Amino acid sequence: MSRNHRIRRVSLSVVAIVILSACTSGQQAPPQDEQVIPRAADGKPDFTGVWAGPGFAHTGSDTDTAQVRRYTEANMAPIKPGGKSLLNRSYTGNVRIDDPTAICLPNGLTRQIPSPYAQQWIQTPTQLVILYEYMHFFRVIPFGPPNRAHAPDVEPTYMGDSIAWWEDDTLVIDTVGLNEWLLDAYHPEDGGSRWHSDQMHLIERLRFTDPRNASYDVTLDDPVIFEKPWIEHWAMQLKPTWKILEFVCDDNDRCRTGNCTDTDVQKLAGP
Amino acid sequence: MKSLGAILAAISALLMVSPAVAHHSFATEYDRSKPVSVTGVVRKVEWRNPHIWFYVDVKDARGDVTTWGFSGAPPAFLMRQGISRDALKTGDVVKVDGFRARDGSNNASGGRVTFADGRSVFTASPEDVRPN
Repeated sequence: MSRNHRIRRVSLSVVAIVILSACTSGQQAPPQDEQVIPRAADGKPDFTGVWAGPGFAHTGSDTDTAQVRRYTEANMAPIKPGGKSLLNRSYTGNVRIDDPTAICLPNGLTRQIPSPYAQQWIQTPTQLVILYEYMHFFRVIPFGPPNRAHAPDVEPTYMGDSIAWWEDDTLVIDTVGLNEWLLDAYHPEDGGSRWHSDQMHLIERLRFTDPRNASYDVTLDDPVIFEKPWIEHWAMQLKPTWKILEFVCDDNDRCRTGNCTDTDVQKLAGP
Repeated sequence: MKSLGAILAAISALLMVSPAVAHHSFATEYDRSKPVSVTGVVRKVEWRNPHIWFYVDVKDARGDVTTWGFSGAPPAFLMRQGISRDALKTGDVVKVDGFRARDGSNNASGGRVTFADGRSVFTASPEDVRPN
């Protein structure tokens, strides 16, 4: 074999290796996160979509099973002296204390988060809007610098005053200005109800774990009841085929507090 | 189109979940110490919030008809399980087991529905007490 021929064979081999290498690298799965999670035009993770919140089984399919979850007692921080009677309210017979949702009063933010109904998130560069199906509540949450102060004149409400910021790819939502209200769906049949104080400070931290799922860590900082903040680790799942539905609590609430109203066919059948 | 069997299986699956809570507390409206069991013909289904209701005409030994009302799951819960309002139709013959409303009227939680051919399904909301 001539020297020129050997050089040509070596050159062709190098070219083949380079081409093969390029093809192989092109077949590698893109790294988790950067290539696959939804991202907005500004490069931030995009939480826009209809979500099955912590109140679902998260089947990964178009159908899902509603499962209300309560805050986990084992996760709670030690309770301050006198805090237990503020957290755990014994059954009173007064529905406004025992179960206000039974008369269509709001469930409040801490109970809304694990509600077994869908929620639609709409993210823009400047704000995040959350539409909750259950009782038609909404949150309009402005983005801004991390750890900034809330407005000084926040009026206490059931959903509170929320502000948001980004910590890398983690969405942080910080809420104050909550009414003293229900902590979760703890019911008379459970022995009473559970409440939080009007000093509750809630920090929600969301991060995509894959293109359809997000971790949802909620820090509950209620200095009136607990010695220190504590965290509930929840999850969310996107449901691309879902729409949020209409929910009118008063529409056909026929046996409110155990006093039933007969419907038309029962009246016709009556004496 | 889903078969009725698939729909009923989905209903059963829905109600196999551990008791949870949706719109309200069961105990504020129904009395778990007062179970009720009736057999009759479905007269009407109300697919409305906050919970579906269905009504069953029940004939006694003298031929007099009483129309019982039964509360079921919220429509959103059922729809997200793939269950439509056609799962329970006017004219179906059913046996319903539930718990009476606290006011003693002919209304109850619809804990379990058994069709004439023996198929047994639940229609109650996950939070509702279901008969054993």
